[in-house]
Amino acid sequence: MEALMAQRKTALSRLSVVWLNVYFWPLLAVVSILFLVLAVPYGYLLDLLGRNRRRTLWYVRRTISHYGAAAVYCGWPLVRVRFIDYAPQEKPPFVFVANHRSSSDAFLMFVLRFEVIQILNIWPSRLPFVNCFSRLAGYLRVREMPFEEFIEAGSRLLADGVSIIAFPEGTRSGSCQLGQFHGSAFRLAQHVGAKICPLTISGNEHIPSRGSLVMHPGQIVISKLPSVTCEQYKELNAYRLKTRVRETIRKHLDAQCL
Amino acid sequence: MTDSELIQAVNDVFADSFEIPREKLTPEAQIFGDLGLDSLDVVDLVAAIQKKFNVQVRDDERIRSIRSMQDLYNYLIMIRNEQKKA
Repeated sequence: MEALMAQRKTALSRLSVVWLNVYFWPLLAVVSILFLVLAVPYGYLLDLLGRNRRRTLWYVRRTISHYGAAAVYCGWPLVRVRFIDYAPQEKPPFVFVANHRSSSDAFLMFVLRFEVIQILNIWPSRLPFVNCFSRLAGYLRVREMPFEEFIEAGSRLLADGVSIIAFPEGTRSGSCQLGQFHGSAFRLAQHVGAKICPLTISGNEHIPSRGSLVMHPGQIVISKLPSVTCEQYKELNAYRLKTRVRETIRKHLDAQCL
Repeated sequence: MTDSELIQAVNDVFADSFEIPREKLTPEAQIFGDLGLDSLDVVDLVAAIQKKFNVQVRDDERIRSIRSMQDLYNYLIMIRNEQKKA
């Protein structure tokens, strides 16, 4: 009887994977085409004709966020997203640091209702669509610029009230393991005295899995933890700071796994 | 300074500057992978080592090949021996 139940469960699970992929990818294609046809020309026109560069940047960043939301909700109801803000009273700008398990992480950042940009590694620049929009939005390419230039550009953004998202592991773990952190984002926060806000993302290890396009059903939980203020970290060097923030993220992720 | 004193002094740098627990500071520990230092932390590490041992190693090409704690111990022992000869 138990074996029969287990067999039925496996069959249902496989069916739900197939069903999700049958409707997710066509829907995502439609959503992407709609954004390309409507939002991209409008963004370029605004950039060419508009006199307010700041407003154009805000538009492009919000459009990217809306696209992320639309892309993620293409998986509904088999893919669900839950956002928990443990410190809703805190005001931007922040340097957000998040764990990185899947390529969907970047899209999930729509849950942050602030004006944000992301720190990019090299590989997103190789994707034409991502490359074009991220350049327009002023995303920071940490591997393609001298460190001093990165600090300068990041400082300007934070002074302008724009929050910055970093995935300090640098590459997707593809599992529940948390990799070592790179310190660039922490050094930027220290340079300007910005708040560092840890984010945890769990449940999307297989949405999609690393090296695969197959989507699996599941619930993704994103937690925005209380930020670390300049007052709290001013005595720490960059290594100690990143280690402590990493520990906060690791503990929160471990607690979610229990 | 004996080899073991030098190793102890190197471990002091890691414990004091980076708050790395001493039990993690084994000869086989990888500086990037196991201890979590990145390229920017290495700049701080070199500065701390220069201060601790009163040496100038920032421009020495040989430090680029250091991966583990054992590599670092060997390198600093070599520097000490070179200084003795000079």
